[in-house]
Amino acid sequence: MEEKSEEKKYTTISIPTQLAEKIKKRIQGTGFTSLSSYVTYVLREVLSGLDTEGSEEFSKEDEERVKARLRSLGYLD
Amino acid sequence: MIDKRSDEVGRIMKLREDTNYIVSGLERSGTSMMMQVLAAGGVPIAYSEARKPDVHNPKGYYELAGGKIINRLIQGTFPFESYKGTFIKITAYGLSYLPKGFYKIIYMERNLEEVLDSMETMAQITDENREKTKQSFKKLNEKIMKDLKTKKHTEVLFMNYNDVLKDPRTNIEKICQFIGPYHCDTPKMIAVVDNTLYRQRR
Repeated sequence: MEEKSEEKKYTTISIPTQLAEKIKKRIQGTGFTSLSSYVTYVLREVLSGLDTEGSEEFSKEDEERVKARLRSLGYLD
Repeated sequence: MIDKRSDEVGRIMKLREDTNYIVSGLERSGTSMMMQVLAAGGVPIAYSEARKPDVHNPKGYYELAGGKIINRLIQGTFPFESYKGTFIKITAYGLSYLPKGFYKIIYMERNLEEVLDSMETMAQITDENREKTKQSFKKLNEKIMKDLKTKKHTEVLFMNYNDVLKDPRTNIEKICQFIGPYHCDTPKMIAVVDNTLYRQRR
């Protein structure tokens, strides 16, 4: 990917030409207007996934278990 | 609601009147100790004495509504407006019910095994499903901490109970910086950190 820096808010990252061509084909007809916008989107998704990795959802069952313990400790009616 | 405010006994520090100040964390993670530390430093705090000090919290619980503030939060009847500019204690689960507003929160973390040991001692139980309980509290803690990081108009200071005991001075200085440009009586705050109350060690 080759993008010129715009107002110092962007930087240039290199990816293999073959991959870039694949991505260009993939984004045809989608809402992505450029190679950069697609790669930015994918990277954000990956990073956000890493942030939540290992932290399972606090389920209704978990909540009931917590509430039961809080009742036993006198923090909740 | 009958409550006590530390500023009624001669403390004069005035915090921001547009902000609710909260000490939070899982139950048994050092939230009461943190309230004591703040009170000693001259920071305004509010609490009721409905729940008396006992063997589990010999220096007091420093809670409002007799420790049942979570009930009021769930019902949406807790008068946050009356407690602006004053630290109050709301344990972790209660933070899910915070209304919109400006908040400064000191969030206590502690070794989870110690937290569970202390809970079991206090509730006088032996948890047959301890691993499940542990996972539930772990997930609650992670959820609340994550939510706090992204909550609008909210500043958070994460404090580790075990670290406070190991190095009170450094951590209390962080607390004072977080609270703002006020004079804290740090020697008195440090004196509160009483290692003899650190009973559930891992």
